[in-house]
Amino acid sequence: MNIVVAIKHIPSIADDLPVSGNTVDFDSVDFVLNEFDEQSIEQAVLVKEAVGGTVTVVGVDMIGELDAVLHLALAKGADKAVKITGDDPAADSHTQAKWLSEAIKGMSADIIFAGVQASNDLDGQIGPMLAAYLDMPYIGGVSSVEVAGDSATVNKEFAGGVGAKYEVSLPMVVGVQASVKPPRYAPVSKVRQVAQTATIEKVAPSGEVSSGLTMKKMAPPVVTGHAEMIEGSSKEVAAKIVELLKSKGLA
Amino acid sequence: MSNDILVITEHMDGKFSDVSFEMVGKAKELANAWGGQSIAVVVGGGVSSNVFASDSTIHVDDAALSNFNPEAYGKVIEALVKEKSPKVVMFGWTATGMDLAAWLSAKLGVPCAAYVKNIGADMTMSCQAYGGKMSADVSPEGDMAIAACLAGSFPVEAGQGSTAATTMASPVDLGSLKVKFVEAIKPAGGDVDITSQVKLVSIGRGIGGKENVELAEELAGKIGATVSCSRPVVDAGWLPRTRQVGKSGLKVKPKLYLMLGISGAPEHLEGMKSAELIIAVNTDKKAPIFNVAHYGATADLFEVAEAMLELL
Amino acid sequence: MLTLVEKIIFILLAITAAGFTFHGFKVIIDSIRKGRPAPELKDVPGSLVKAAIAVLFQQTIFKARKVLSAIHMGLFFGLITYAVVNLVDVLEGLVPGFELVYGGKHLPNAPTGLINAFNLIADVMSGFLLIAIIVFLVRRFILKDKALEYRDNVLLNPKVKAGGQARDSLTVGVFVIMHVGARLMSQAYRLDAGADPFMPIASFLNSMFGASEVGVHVAWWISLGWVMFIIPYLSRSKHTHFFMSPINLGLAKQNPRGQLDPAIPLKVIEGQKFDPGAKQIYDLAWTRVMDAYACVQCNRCQDVCPMNFAEGAPLSPSALEVNKRYLLKEATFGSHADRLLLPLTETVISPEAVWSCTTCYACVRVCPVGNEPMADIVDIRRRMLIDGYEIDSGVQNALQSLATNGNWMSKGKRLRGRWAKEMEFPVKNATEEPVEYLWFVGDTASFDERVIPNTKMVARLFNQGGLDFGIMYQNESNSGNDVRRVGEEGLFEQLVEQNMAAFGKAQFKQIVTTDPHSFNTLKNEYPQFGGKFEVKHYTVTLLKLIEEGKLTIKNKLSNYKVTFHDPCYLGRYNGGFTAPRKLLELLGVEFVEMPRNCENSFCCGAGGGQIWMGKVAPGERPAENRIKEALTTFEVGRIANPTYQKTQLFIVTCPKDMIMYSDAVKTTGNEGKIEVRDIIQLVAEAVGVEEPKVAEAVPSPA
Repeated sequence: MNIVVAIKHIPSIADDLPVSGNTVDFDSVDFVLNEFDEQSIEQAVLVKEAVGGTVTVVGVDMIGELDAVLHLALAKGADKAVKITGDDPAADSHTQAKWLSEAIKGMSADIIFAGVQASNDLDGQIGPMLAAYLDMPYIGGVSSVEVAGDSATVNKEFAGGVGAKYEVSLPMVVGVQASVKPPRYAPVSKVRQVAQTATIEKVAPSGEVSSGLTMKKMAPPVVTGHAEMIEGSSKEVAAKIVELLKSKGLA
Repeated sequence: MSNDILVITEHMDGKFSDVSFEMVGKAKELANAWGGQSIAVVVGGGVSSNVFASDSTIHVDDAALSNFNPEAYGKVIEALVKEKSPKVVMFGWTATGMDLAAWLSAKLGVPCAAYVKNIGADMTMSCQAYGGKMSADVSPEGDMAIAACLAGSFPVEAGQGSTAATTMASPVDLGSLKVKFVEAIKPAGGDVDITSQVKLVSIGRGIGGKENVELAEELAGKIGATVSCSRPVVDAGWLPRTRQVGKSGLKVKPKLYLMLGISGAPEHLEGMKSAELIIAVNTDKKAPIFNVAHYGATADLFEVAEAMLELL
Repeated sequence: MLTLVEKIIFILLAITAAGFTFHGFKVIIDSIRKGRPAPELKDVPGSLVKAAIAVLFQQTIFKARKVLSAIHMGLFFGLITYAVVNLVDVLEGLVPGFELVYGGKHLPNAPTGLINAFNLIADVMSGFLLIAIIVFLVRRFILKDKALEYRDNVLLNPKVKAGGQARDSLTVGVFVIMHVGARLMSQAYRLDAGADPFMPIASFLNSMFGASEVGVHVAWWISLGWVMFIIPYLSRSKHTHFFMSPINLGLAKQNPRGQLDPAIPLKVIEGQKFDPGAKQIYDLAWTRVMDAYACVQCNRCQDVCPMNFAEGAPLSPSALEVNKRYLLKEATFGSHADRLLLPLTETVISPEAVWSCTTCYACVRVCPVGNEPMADIVDIRRRMLIDGYEIDSGVQNALQSLATNGNWMSKGKRLRGRWAKEMEFPVKNATEEPVEYLWFVGDTASFDERVIPNTKMVARLFNQGGLDFGIMYQNESNSGNDVRRVGEEGLFEQLVEQNMAAFGKAQFKQIVTTDPHSFNTLKNEYPQFGGKFEVKHYTVTLLKLIEEGKLTIKNKLSNYKVTFHDPCYLGRYNGGFTAPRKLLELLGVEFVEMPRNCENSFCCGAGGGQIWMGKVAPGERPAENRIKEALTTFEVGRIANPTYQKTQLFIVTCPKDMIMYSDAVKTTGNEGKIEVRDIIQLVAEAVGVEEPKVAEAVPSPA
């Protein structure tokens, strides 16, 4: 089974985001792996462990720092790593999806995993676009995947525990919301060992497409309100909250 | 080319979601201003479709469409869009819309904006970006654009009406689908329905571990509330999915929403921002939740919860 | 004087016993040699001599249990004496005419004085030995001292559980009583001319039983025949301790306490490749394989372990060593060599216990024989991590955040210096301009809103004292001290490299830290990575500022009664006892010492990654126990002086302590009786620094 994971390297939102012109100032933010991609890598490795095969992780190298992410994926159980030398921190989802689809075409993928969404998916997520470019079915919001023969059974979540089970003939693209088990931890020594021995295949970006969106403005959102802050020690805060609840007949 | 707006509505168990009405209302306002029409699109059966204020409603019904199927729905919508060639196609940025909007964009080579909060008369789309830390204004090129709209962005009422729907069969052959709907998954039985609770004590990543959920349960018990949570708590397996508030969870509107250790990602806010009284306790004084809550405190949730238990 | 037949039997017995004994020790030595290379030991003969002196004066046992230690001392001297006594007895049995009673009057040219002295010592020591052994037997079998037992949830070798140790104790106890008693009787039976003033006990027995040639033979055989069985037995029991503990003490850890052994031996052996840490027993360094043989299961380590104390935690450092020895015994003396291949987490210590350890070092510190159970635990953690053992979710979150953000709190790197940007004066960036003091702030002090006010106070005092200092802002990463102790060696190395790169950009003369954990690794472990800096804890720096007159104490704080908690990584690990106490003295507070102080301080329970754990053992937590200790200490003063009305403070010098103890005061319901404060708050009050009154601006929207 050829299992492919398409990942996104995105600006970290753990920090304050500085803006430069109409975009985030890519020079002064850290790039991290999209959190849903962590789930999707785990789900891919779980599928491999269940039915055998190889997991290939592929992503666009936005700022020349994707190696670390790929090494981590290899340490977690992926078998091959491919980076598309995009070197454009502003590459949008359409562009990335196009490049990824061209790179994946030669991999005879049976199943492709992608994170269900990313915080910079302004022009949509790469998962459904990959499906469109590769002419495969797509299901997103998936929280479990089982592969048997040439079909996969996936659970899609709608909301609040309501979901649906689908059977899909492969190949397909899966947008992962959560893997069946929480992502495993990869010890850094293992990651470093991988970093020393693994080879990352480099692929030049191929295919051209545009999101067709022009960025006019990027700024922190205007905040309309702010909570009335309760000051003091935890005990005082607790007392104030209890008082508040009692005054409103809620406690 | 037209100045029409096609709104892809969504429904489940015979009910349309709020975002469907929100979009129809906005579409009507915009399309009419442009001299076009707002067209609500209903895919699938088991629902009464004469409920929108749209200029017209198209209801596509077919046995293959009775349950959401991204492949079948995608094909139908693609065909309709090709036929109508509207100026804007609106989807909800929801569990179903997220499967379709970007797919259609790539399929047709039409621009797509996601996380849309507003659409201007000049087609400028205001979008949420970077987990709510940024707001971006984008404008699509070309004659057609797709907008995937965040729930709660527009008023619901403006979209409610009674336009009679035109029912039609599927415009495309749905005979050989690769995706087969197997069965619906209902929430594990026996758990409480958090959407019907008057008071919720909601916990986030800050709760730290499964063992600490008990503390929240205890506090909730004291004030007659139920414990709900944000997505990370469910993903970590500390509470069942039925307790999750937010975009991928449930939308709640309790009288009291007491938040412990939730920083307030937009996806969570989507599920609770209309609660009547929101009180947030978080150690990060810059947590976005403080922009939404009515009362806030930067404090340790465990200390506050324990102190509250003593006082109650 | 034995008959010929008796002599032949005895010599045959002696040869057999020697054979078994030799075999026993060969097995033990072979087993120890199978352990991994240990960190290089310097001047081994010197260390062995030092250890011999320490053993001779029984120095190391007196760190705890003073009375029992004194009795142990009697036992020890008695047994040493008996080594000579037995030799003499053998000569009495084998050499015709050799008899030492009455000053050796039958011997030609006997040195009467010397013999009388020997007789007196042997006689009195026999008495001591009997008393000591009876006390120990009464303690174990009649009083059933709880200190000698293990809690039910502690993993124990089935043989230990079935009472294997007690049987060892009983065997040796009965042996000593029989051996010494018979020896006394054999001497008493020799006294055919009445009492010998140099043998009071034997003379007393003689007065009761008289002299008897047959009695001498019987008693001699009972006394020395036993020895021939017991000596080979010792090598197969916990009493290997007699021989192995002095050697083990001589070969004990020489590196600083705060420097962990590497995960993979530094010594390269041709053709041998080591995985990090320990899965099986021979993955441990040979010095720590030897620990098992040196341990006599006195359980002093268990007494001081903050996690054994906590009800519910299944950890006992002593059980670890006991299990190790039983495992080795079953494999090397028994037929269960296959068990050596079992994971240590099945044979020696449960996974839950492995993850309970706070790495406070109390067990290693108190061990009289130089054992390092804590080091074994860290090695086991290291391998568990590599092998993909499912770790606590809280720890996993922390490690993941450390790997990506350089802090365990999932905060963005750039937010590390946010507190400094909020100060009313500029705080230098040490990576951009030269400073004299590079302040290594640490994660908790940088990010935790509960601790940041104290961090800011440190900055204000440094500033007021004219200290030329700076911080590294986003270039600082977690020091890695606790990461290493959780067993994530690779991540530790990564963090060290990141910090070393940051230090490389900075110009400074010395490092000052707020966090004792950072202090420890920067001081003791970074040198191995080329980071040789002068590192100081902020208490030392503050003291210097006050002593040099750069900060002046304006208000004496005589309205406070305080006690001080020594943080493990400042105190026990690095001996930083005096600066905080000196500071408190200068501040003019009334100071009382808790019973467990300095080296013997009691861990707050946060170290070794425990603060990250999602799961906490039920029952009283170490920090809660500590707060109660402080209150009891204050109570003593109150009884002596019932009128006093001072505010009672629990003083800490570690950001983690601030959190742990503030919490414990609340959970024990002692708010209002005792308050936890960082020493910086007192210094600020005495020196006269106040937080700026202006409220901080409403945070700008994220």
